[in-house]
Amino acid sequence: MNNHSLPAVVAILAAGVTTLVADTAHADRRTNSLAADVAVRHRRLLVKNRFELAPLFESTINADFRHILGAGAKLEYHLGDMFSIGVIGVASAALDTKLVDKIVPTLERNADSKTREPSRTEFLDHLNSMPFHGAVYASLTPWYGKLAAFSQAYVAFDFYFQAGIAFAQLKSDCPISVCSDPAPGKPRPDPMNPSENLPQDFNPNNDPPLNSGGRVGIYLGGGIHVFLNDFLALDLTVRDYAFTDNPSGADFNANLFVSDADNRFLHHLFFGAGISVMLPTTVKRTP
Amino acid sequence: MASTALAQSKKKPPAKAPAKAPAKAPEKSPTPAKGSGDDTEIEMNPDDTAPKKGSGSGSGAVNPEEIEMGEPEKPGDLKSDLNIASTETVKAGPIKKTPLSWQDIVVVVRKPFLKSRRTELLPFVGTTMNDNMIRHYTVGGELAYYLTDVLAVGVEGQYYVHSFQEPFDLVARQARRLPTINQYKWSAALDFHYVPIYGKFAILDHNLVTWESYFTAGIGAGQSEVIPRDTQFPGFTNLLIMPNVGASMRFFLSRWLTVSLGIRDYIFYDHFEPKNRSLMMYATAADAKANADGSLINNLMFQIGVSFWVPTSFEYTTFR
Repeated sequence: MNNHSLPAVVAILAAGVTTLVADTAHADRRTNSLAADVAVRHRRLLVKNRFELAPLFESTINADFRHILGAGAKLEYHLGDMFSIGVIGVASAALDTKLVDKIVPTLERNADSKTREPSRTEFLDHLNSMPFHGAVYASLTPWYGKLAAFSQAYVAFDFYFQAGIAFAQLKSDCPISVCSDPAPGKPRPDPMNPSENLPQDFNPNNDPPLNSGGRVGIYLGGGIHVFLNDFLALDLTVRDYAFTDNPSGADFNANLFVSDADNRFLHHLFFGAGISVMLPTTVKRTP
Repeated sequence: MASTALAQSKKKPPAKAPAKAPAKAPEKSPTPAKGSGDDTEIEMNPDDTAPKKGSGSGSGAVNPEEIEMGEPEKPGDLKSDLNIASTETVKAGPIKKTPLSWQDIVVVVRKPFLKSRRTELLPFVGTTMNDNMIRHYTVGGELAYYLTDVLAVGVEGQYYVHSFQEPFDLVARQARRLPTINQYKWSAALDFHYVPIYGKFAILDHNLVTWESYFTAGIGAGQSEVIPRDTQFPGFTNLLIMPNVGASMRFFLSRWLTVSLGIRDYIFYDHFEPKNRSLMMYATAADAKANADGSLINNLMFQIGVSFWVPTSFEYTTFR
């Protein structure tokens, strides 16, 4: 090796070392802590360790016979940034759907056991309502983010999913004068001759609807918080209260009398809108 | 001066050039600063690091050699930049203030997906949301061209199939009434889309997903067909004028692939089988159609689809 080649060797070695260092640095970049880091730093913890109290309105989605419109509240405690537990309760009123409005005028005015067609009163009195319903649930908030509306308004939001136990109080008012069959599906005592029984009347229209009382079932929900500031959020939710029900109160299984067997597991979909108040009103930030 | 080093590293590859540039830059700009104390922390004048040929005057003229317009950015090396900042002796001198050079500083992150002058091909499926008698399912597609990043015009087409819901049978069995319903056959529309909302969200605090929300309004046509209550009578079809409005969300998966879901309200005036149809009255399709009962319908549909974008990539045309 002569003296003239020494600088070239040094240069090559230097280049190699530089390349190695560069590669090492590059490898460092590829394996640095950012890959496992959180997606957002200095993020406002809008829900963590906070109570959420939300007055709300709810309405059924696509109800068959009666819309359920109600007002209530939910109370939720966010144990962490993603997990919370809560309870919701809604008191409701019922409104007939357009389907009912179309059917009723076509029905006969007075009950006629020979036609198998319900009278207007029989049809309406068998429908039930839901004066109160609610749920106890756990909630998961896996998504959070921010959005810009018209490139002007920047707001934070999160998506959440809920699951729990639903409960509901159902109510139907069918007076004895309308729901007069004392033993649906069974032979009846002959009022003229008590020692004899009359055969089953095969008329479900005068049977008690059997669609009132308490129900317990499954609750599922999904929604979005749109934060208006650090402690107020618009809360939009779709909720499914699933439990056994027979909304029409009529014979479902075509055995010509109404019984508990006509109840089936139904989904009661609601859309809810409320304003969530987060307590305490101040927020912390992530590192 | 760390800010200076970071700002300059965007113009030149960080591994090579920035070693000298931050130290020399202040020496070339002797004009005293007149701003606040914060001004001394940030390199303000783009002329300081630019080649002398054709450099701007600070009033908006920019040397094109200074700005990378189309090349992908090379990854920065924070460690080396910090080392440079801590080891180099920097002569703190007065800094010339040129407000336009703030354009070099990233204040708002660029949108990760550009739609302007791109075409979206969206095959989708949909289902009726607000009819508890009959549920329609659709298979369709939309071709939309984005005139700008927020405005698009497109055409859509759908083919419908249907199934009956529980109340359809219940009403017949319990109330002894046969429902009067129509089925939809197809529809097509010219649509306009406007995108006022965009945002991003993190999934489980790690993965960022960008999304946007857009509104749609359109005008189109479709066809419905009466389902006769009594099958001995023929049905008839109706040609419908179908304006529509809707709101949707789009999630960006890659530069050419997105997922869209939304709600669309197709509004039209439909004609139904007349009441009291019998052998003596409205027996033929023509008679029934001439005496049909009309009603305004809101066919609310949920739609979800996967969009393919052409061209499959895009270039940013504005400064970062």
